[in-house]
Amino acid sequence: MTQAKTEEPKSFGHNEEIIVCRNVRKWYGDFEALKAVSLTVKQGEVVVILGPSGSGKSTFIRCINRLEEHQEGDIVVDGIPLTHDVRNIAEIRREVGMVFQQFNLFPHLTVLENITLAPIHVRKWAREKAEERAMHWLGRVGIPEQANKYPGQLSGGQQQRVAIARTLTMEPNILLFDEPTSALDPEMIKEVLDVMRDLAQTGYTILAVTHEMGFARTVADRIIFMDAGQIVEENTPENFFTNPENERTRLFLNQILHH
Amino acid sequence: MAEITPQVSTGQESIPFWRDGRVLGVLAQIAFLAAVIIATGWILNNVLQNMDKLGAFRCADGSSSFVCGFNFLRIDAQFDIGETTIISYDPSDAFSRAILVGALNTIRVAVFGIILATILGTLAGIARLSSNWLISNIAKWYVDLMRNTPLLLQLFFLYFGVILLLPPIREAVQPFGLPIYMSQRGIDLPWPVFMSSARLWIGFVVLAIFLTWILWVVLGRREIQLGKSTNRTGWAFLTFLLVAVVGWFVATATSGNNQVVLAANTVSAADLAGLESVMQQRLGVNDLASVSQAVSDGTLTQEAVDTAAFTVCTLRDDRSEVNLTAQLRKLNMPYSVKAFNRENLVSEAFAAGDCDLYIANKETLAAAQTAVSGATLIPIGETPVRFSIPSLQGLNFTGGYKLTPNFAAILVGLVLYTGAFIAEIVRAGIQSVAKGQSEAARALGLSEGQRLRLVVLPQALRVIIPPLTSQYLNLVKNSSLAIAVGFPDLWTTSFITLNQSGQSVQVFIIVMASYLSFSLLISFLLNWYNQRISLVER
Ligand SMILES: Nc1ncnc2c1ncn2[C@@H]1O[C@H](COP(=O)(O)OP(=O)(O)OP(=O)(O)O)[C@@H](O)[C@H]1O
Ligand SMILES: [Mg+2]
Repeated sequence: MTQAKTEEPKSFGHNEEIIVCRNVRKWYGDFEALKAVSLTVKQGEVVVILGPSGSGKSTFIRCINRLEEHQEGDIVVDGIPLTHDVRNIAEIRREVGMVFQQFNLFPHLTVLENITLAPIHVRKWAREKAEERAMHWLGRVGIPEQANKYPGQLSGGQQQRVAIARTLTMEPNILLFDEPTSALDPEMIKEVLDVMRDLAQTGYTILAVTHEMGFARTVADRIIFMDAGQIVEENTPENFFTNPENERTRLFLNQILHH
Repeated sequence: MAEITPQVSTGQESIPFWRDGRVLGVLAQIAFLAAVIIATGWILNNVLQNMDKLGAFRCADGSSSFVCGFNFLRIDAQFDIGETTIISYDPSDAFSRAILVGALNTIRVAVFGIILATILGTLAGIARLSSNWLISNIAKWYVDLMRNTPLLLQLFFLYFGVILLLPPIREAVQPFGLPIYMSQRGIDLPWPVFMSSARLWIGFVVLAIFLTWILWVVLGRREIQLGKSTNRTGWAFLTFLLVAVVGWFVATATSGNNQVVLAANTVSAADLAGLESVMQQRLGVNDLASVSQAVSDGTLTQEAVDTAAFTVCTLRDDRSEVNLTAQLRKLNMPYSVKAFNRENLVSEAFAAGDCDLYIANKETLAAAQTAVSGATLIPIGETPVRFSIPSLQGLNFTGGYKLTPNFAAILVGLVLYTGAFIAEIVRAGIQSVAKGQSEAARALGLSEGQRLRLVVLPQALRVIIPPLTSQYLNLVKNSSLAIAVGFPDLWTTSFITLNQSGQSVQVFIIVMASYLSFSLLISFLLNWYNQRISLVER
């Protein structure tokens, strides 16, 4: 797959801190799901979040685009502070795209309508422009021929690729992935991972929760390990897998690598 | 180990027909159809034979046929009907017209009921999902109360316990100071009336829509060319408004000859100013605006004003009356309205000198003018739409739209009752849309309104429509409880017809066929809609 220069996200130099989280805390009732999480992600960086079930990985990345509301601490995305100001929230959501485990395509709209809905209503593009960009991204994820089908008529892997195209057509700088391959059959996982790998190389800033260790090892710039609502280890992939610092990380790796 | 030889099926011939699923399916259907035909045939034959023995289907010439059984419909009904929809009614009309009037009344209840119950139900359904404790609980109590008590009881309570206990007409309750009057005699509301100049104005509105559409398309093309927004929503809206407003003034200005009023020779005036001077003479004042002051000062008695007041004769519910009385009010001319049920009755009253002014359509007035010497036609201007505002005239409100206590009871009762069921359907529909859908919409940056309108509601509708259809059908069928609160719907007028004519089987056939066709129409429309929006699955 080749790509033109224009479709790469805006680059502000590789050092810009595009996501800054400081002591983010979140409670569900009495249960503290995030305990003072701090993380800084630079422009163009690919960060993979690992951790046992229930450790707060989803909660954390969902706080970044306000699908969940954090109660304490600061989150700043591309210089925009995430507060109760609805205008800030709207701006951040335009910067940040998200891909879900369950795809969450709109079943009443065709693939093309799914993709053009937000560009037309949020970005106010003319339909023609939105459709042109949609077809471009469908081509990029490899399924332009499915444009006029309904989500219910596609395989899981195809649906997830449509969901990725839908997110990309909005031209975000940052991509959040929450276990994008966990609902897929093994033979479909590869086609989605290939697309993600391609995007990582294109220069998107990516924050991904995944259980795909191969992907984490080869694509990530950095790996974050979460447990019980805290970041317990931050490391390069190489060190993370061969020489983890934390005892809990070691336990986790033992469990998933030798079962 | 025992040898197992699997029984290999060699083809379809090997299945005996009494075990062949396809044959069995067809046989079952044939048997069922035969049973239905035999049963209905037997019942129908029995009924028809008995009816024939009683002479129900006897024709005038002594022979008997099914069609002749309905000849009674042409006989005069001889009973009064409290209120009508669209068409007029008089006891001298035939039974068929009485039943038709009832059917139209049922349609009125059904149409208003379905619209209002849908609005109320949707609001209550959304309210039940509200995160506000008070709002969601009020909605919950409303739904529980309505669903767990009998409808008939609710209707009786509403009619005898609420509406009939409202204050008498002279002390009518005015909620929030609006021109809405609630009394024992029912509820009087302001109502828009389309005048004859509305035709021209509606032409302008159509033109406005057309121009707006063209502008929308042209600007859309430009947007693509320029690659940026041209604010076309704003321009389109402005164009529409401009053309519609210009049309309004043009229609008003050219309406001079649309409407005329016939003045009796005792009045004889050429225009509204002439009418004004007639009234000034009658009251002996120079300025009609000073009359109310003079009455409160005691220089003029109320009786004098009442005697001098113009008597306006008109057909009941004639829309031109609204225009005339509005103009008279504006010029401070006292008037009273006499409304008749039939055109010829108004003409007779005018010829007999009972009216000062006669408002009706032009042809009728021209005819009345030739019959009465000295009567003059006065042109009056009109705006395309006038709001008819209820005003107290003696012991009743004239103008506006009147909800009789009976109509108000059945309408409000059905709306409250059905709305509760619709609320549950709407709630379930919205809840049936997966949470992920809303999350995806938010993550894509859609606003809350866009999320509901573009993502949640279209999906909820698919779940909502089928049970909603049956609620609409229930509303139509439940409207036959109108008989309990004295509203003359289809069943009420048919029931009286049945009692008067004694033709029970024929009346039941008509009533059942009518309700059946209402129901089929509603099911057909909603099924068609549901089919159009149904999901495409793999
Ligand atoms: N809406 C909620 N209400 C209450 N508790 C919640 C809610 N969502 C998550 N939690 C709790 O917060 C904790 C973190 O959940 P989260 O979904 O972030 O875990 P996760 O790391 O993504 O796990 P998994 O790998 O299974 O997806 C869990 O203990 C979960 O039970
Ligand atoms: Mg998760």
